[in-house]
Amino acid sequence: MQNRLRSAIFAGAKAALIVALWVGAVPTIGQAQTYKAPRTADGKPDLNGIWEALNTANWDIQDHAARMGPVVALGAAFSVPAGLGVVEGNDIPYLPAAAAKKKENAEHWLTADPEIKCYLPGVPRATYMPYPFQIFQTPQYILMAYEFAAASRTIYMNSSQKSPNDTWMGWSVGHWEGDTLVVDVTSFNDQTWFDRAGNFHSDALHVVERYTRISPDALDYEVTIEDPKVFSRPWKMRMPLYRRLEKNAQLLEYKCVEFAEELMYGPLRKQSSEGKGGSK
Amino acid sequence: MSHRFLAAMAVAVVIAVALLAPPPATGQAQSPAKATPAKPTPAAKTWTVPRTADGQPDLQGVWDYRTITPLERPKELGTKAFFTAEEAANYEKQENQRQNRDLIDPEQGGLFYPPGGVVPYNEFWYDRGNKIVGSKRTSLIVDPPDGRLPAWTPEGQKQADLRAAEQRSTQLGHPHADSWEDRPLQERCLVGLNAGPPMTPGAYNNNIQLFQTPGYVVILNEMVHDARIIALDGRPRGSIRQWKGDSRGHWEGDTLVIDTTNFKRETNVEGSSVNTHLIERFTRADANTLLYEFTVDDPTMWTRPWTAVIPMSKSEDPIYEYACHEGNYAMAGILAGARAAEKAAEEAEKKGSR
Repeated sequence: MQNRLRSAIFAGAKAALIVALWVGAVPTIGQAQTYKAPRTADGKPDLNGIWEALNTANWDIQDHAARMGPVVALGAAFSVPAGLGVVEGNDIPYLPAAAAKKKENAEHWLTADPEIKCYLPGVPRATYMPYPFQIFQTPQYILMAYEFAAASRTIYMNSSQKSPNDTWMGWSVGHWEGDTLVVDVTSFNDQTWFDRAGNFHSDALHVVERYTRISPDALDYEVTIEDPKVFSRPWKMRMPLYRRLEKNAQLLEYKCVEFAEELMYGPLRKQSSEGKGGSK
Repeated sequence: MSHRFLAAMAVAVVIAVALLAPPPATGQAQSPAKATPAKPTPAAKTWTVPRTADGQPDLQGVWDYRTITPLERPKELGTKAFFTAEEAANYEKQENQRQNRDLIDPEQGGLFYPPGGVVPYNEFWYDRGNKIVGSKRTSLIVDPPDGRLPAWTPEGQKQADLRAAEQRSTQLGHPHADSWEDRPLQERCLVGLNAGPPMTPGAYNNNIQLFQTPGYVVILNEMVHDARIIALDGRPRGSIRQWKGDSRGHWEGDTLVIDTTNFKRETNVEGSSVNTHLIERFTRADANTLLYEFTVDDPTMWTRPWTAVIPMSKSEDPIYEYACHEGNYAMAGILAGARAAEKAAEEAEKKGSR
């Protein structure tokens, strides 16, 4: 009896251990990290690779139910998928005037969202658009190349160099805090958005990103957004980024200018009675 | 370099970029024989190529390829492949004078601008450098030996004639602009004038930054912010055609060799076709010089391959963000201008027929 009880307890403990190990093997963000990432030659966690978010944050960084898309003809093929938000607490602390502006942006999404015109997407939006990006990590510089719009940015490691100007993609300065790459991004213009839901910022935007490897094929990505002209306090987004595992994965071109030209310049095309414009 | 802030100003005025100078830039080139990699100069003998952690030659950094050495040797120089020091100084003086847009009266014309035409950018916008290459070559083209592009094929000639006619009418203020698709790719900010591949010195933004990680080289072009990612692992090429082609790289000794095919349209070299096979070679010649050599093999357009060598100089400046499309107010301007001109002509005709 005693033995049977003991073996039952032991079996239970073993099951618990197995569960614990199994859970540990599939880390989720937010839990204590014990994963030790492979190193680059200079001893830093190796972030090289092609990564992509797998969420609907580009539609709306906050919680959102599915809804019909803007193009009737595309029906179910291009409607808006539901998604749990990536904003910590799901609350974006807009100042009153900014909250009104956000609402207006959302109402005029199709004419106001810079993504539609193929403009450089800014940070952090570039990270979680539904396109891969590739990290090239060297001791002095880390290049992030994004498939969307052939955007890229250089992260200057431990640099005191200042941005020469305001930019779309920001001016990125990085350093390592333990095994986390911390990137401080400033010098933005006020032209980019956070998503297709009209969430926006001003030229006072200050972004701090934290990239941490949590498994062979995933990064934890945490972003703090600060912009005193638009928000009453700093707020955070957080999501995993996944490695593209396809053999020979390659960043391809998405030079989207040509997909936006009809939209942007169409009314200026030559209208001919023979229906013969300059382009086919 | 003092004009680098222009890049950040974006293309407030993309205007008729086709009118911009043909490949003009700077640099202390060594003078490699024809299409061979760099030979170290005596001064460089004590210098050894730095290595990356994984043992590759370290080509990283920002490189500036401005020069006023033309792609093609001026016809009047005949067989003269190199300037003497004195000739070089004279040439620079004359060329800097000749290129100076502020000294050109549009009514009189000058450089390649016809009288009564449009000189679209004043000198403020240019950052083409003011020196010829250090080798004192009279052209960037080193092969054919006459320093000039080889003969066109019949198709190449046909396309060249069309381009020349279009350039002429644009220079005279009548750009063909029924649609944006009638305008050159660089005016649409789809590809940079000088960004390549292959890179050729142009009016401004003659800067690249090279990055190397295990298995990859990236060429980040300042012009139209394009990051060319080149895999070095010998992976097969797919069937996808791209604006910048599809590149694969490998090392031959200390020279990085990049092989590119699968172009979607012409490359940035005027007249090239989708069938272009491009070979580029990067070799560090000394601490401050990266030699860039490229060979264009395009049997559709040219009767033989041709090769150019461009020295790039190390720069301590960062690459600026060149948000070309975002600032491209000129495209709407060009199209609206063309529509306004049509309307004016129509009304003039109506008036005349009354």
